Amino acid sequence: MIEVKSISKNFGEVQAVKEVTFTAPDSQVTALLGANGAGKTTSLRMIYSLITPESGEILIDGIDPKKEPERARKLLGVLPDTRGLYKRLSARENIEYFGKLHGMTDEKIKSRTDSLVADLRMEDFIDRKTDGFSQGQRVKVAIARALVHDPQNIILDEPTNGLDVMSTRGVRAFLMKEKERGKCILFSSHVMQEVAAVSDEILIVNDGIICASGSESELKQQTGKENLEDAFVHIVTNGEGHE
Amino acid sequence: MNKQMQQIKTVMFKEITDNVRDKKSLLSSIFMGAVFMPVLFVFMINFTVNMAKDKQESQLEIAIQGADNAKSFISFVKSKGVKINEFSGDATKAIENKDEEAVIIIPEDFYENFSSGIPAKIEIYYDATAKGTTNVTQRRIKALISEYSNTIGMSRLQLRGISPLLLKAIVVEKHDVSTSQSKGARLLAFLPYALILGLFMGSMYLAIDTMAGEKERNSLEALLLNPIKRSHLLLGKLFATISFGLMTMILTLITFKLAMPFMPLEKMGMSVDLGFKTLSIMTIILAPLAIMAASLQTIIATFSKSFKEAQTYVGLLIIVPMIPSIALMILPVKEKLWMMATPILSQNLIINQIMRGEQVEVVSIIAAIVGSLLIGLILALVAIKLYNRESLLFSD
Repeated sequence: MIEVKSISKNFGEVQAVKEVTFTAPDSQVTALLGANGAGKTTSLRMIYSLITPESGEILIDGIDPKKEPERARKLLGVLPDTRGLYKRLSARENIEYFGKLHGMTDEKIKSRTDSLVADLRMEDFIDRKTDGFSQGQRVKVAIARALVHDPQNIILDEPTNGLDVMSTRGVRAFLMKEKERGKCILFSSHVMQEVAAVSDEILIVNDGIICASGSESELKQQTGKENLEDAFVHIVTNGEGHE
Repeated sequence: MNKQMQQIKTVMFKEITDNVRDKKSLLSSIFMGAVFMPVLFVFMINFTVNMAKDKQESQLEIAIQGADNAKSFISFVKSKGVKINEFSGDATKAIENKDEEAVIIIPEDFYENFSSGIPAKIEIYYDATAKGTTNVTQRRIKALISEYSNTIGMSRLQLRGISPLLLKAIVVEKHDVSTSQSKGARLLAFLPYALILGLFMGSMYLAIDTMAGEKERNSLEALLLNPIKRSHLLLGKLFATISFGLMTMILTLITFKLAMPFMPLEKMGMSVDLGFKTLSIMTIILAPLAIMAASLQTIIATFSKSFKEAQTYVGLLIIVPMIPSIALMILPVKEKLWMMATPILSQNLIINQIMRGEQVEVVSIIAAIVGSLLIGLILALVAIKLYNRESLLFSD
């Protein structure tokens, strides 16, 4: 479970995130939906303690990352916005490297990698060097690498960005399976269909604040719109409909 | 603690594996530093030495214009086994076009002056700035002429009943205290430079790849999310970088050792001691320098946004070890203790001492190790401090 209590962050004059508060419970997919530059990535980066919030508090399964950063990171599996791989290493070696940094034994890494390979359908390229991988293959390796330690909390920044339909479906199916296993999943996206397809709870982010939240049907109900996209536009433009 | 050591080791071995697989990296560090440079040096020394040697022993050929004007001189020259080539035309042109290395012109009034006891003139045309063996040729010609001139001069005095020794007011007796080893050291003055350069080149590529490369590949953010302290992450990377520098330095030493038999040392009456003890001392005093080189390169690479930028700046850093090495090749220096504690300078001085066959004081070795180690560790701390900044990811 991830608890976020009124976190804020400035970059110079710009206030990127203002007093954001929410909770992402276990066995649920929570989505941060917002346009580019709305503050999604900055919020996520504060949650996985890559940058420190100016104010507010974050708890990962009750652990404060400010006080115990390494312990908090063990409870998190993060697919960041940048997902570069080591191209002179094979996909398996990329995953192994992170497993070892998590202090896992070789057998554990092996068995976990095998199950991730099966879940994400990586059989064809797992032992190939990652140089020249397609976008979809790279994202799958990046996800496997981030989740090699089988964390309770999964954070993904725009996970299906740039993926084709088949890869997108693969990733989605994987996330649903992880949810069934009781994991807490928090992801950001600007794609409406995607958010609508997998999320239990949607947080609409605009200008660094959360301006609405609820399930898809709740948001549609609140705004009286037929679909999520119209509801989103209604919310971020204060009901004016157009920018 | 054990777990953290394990993490540092993981990072280090990953970086080593990653870079060993990179042909560019191996080429620029190991090959250029440890193989290419020593081989090039050996080749060049051999070439120069042999060329000078051959010229000194080869038959001298002289292009002479107006040989008929000085028949006795010509027969003297011939008696010395020199081959005379009749020359006519423009002497300056012939030398400019490199048709001749030197041309002698004997003027028409030579015999007239010669027989009436007036200094007779012989003109030599040559190019003092010409490369290679030309200077040897013109020196040999001058020596021949002055020998002839002396012989004639002395016999003239003797004919008049005057002892030719009166002309020699002073006799110079030379005592060259250089040993065959110190002569060898002069020839190998570049050895410390080559070793230090090898060390810098060896670690250069890794420093760039582990810092700027990680950023450019967009893998840094994911890496930082692992449960490892940033300082430990940097230590792992730094150890990998240091190990490449050390490896290249040791390989350079081995290459030199293997290349020694191919050096024309005996021909020149020189000797160089590259025994096990010598090599060990060199390794011990150079090793701490690897920490300094790697830290310095890492610091610079941390500031760079891209691989290319880092390559430019870290590449410029190679000039640093050149300064003391070249200064010492030109300027003679009396070693002082503070010099022995100054990194790079101390290694240069001590290796030069070893090569000259001088006894190296233990104090000097300790000063060199402590001095370099201290500065290396300070720089490593600076590198760690820089890596801990939050802005590391956003330096663009």
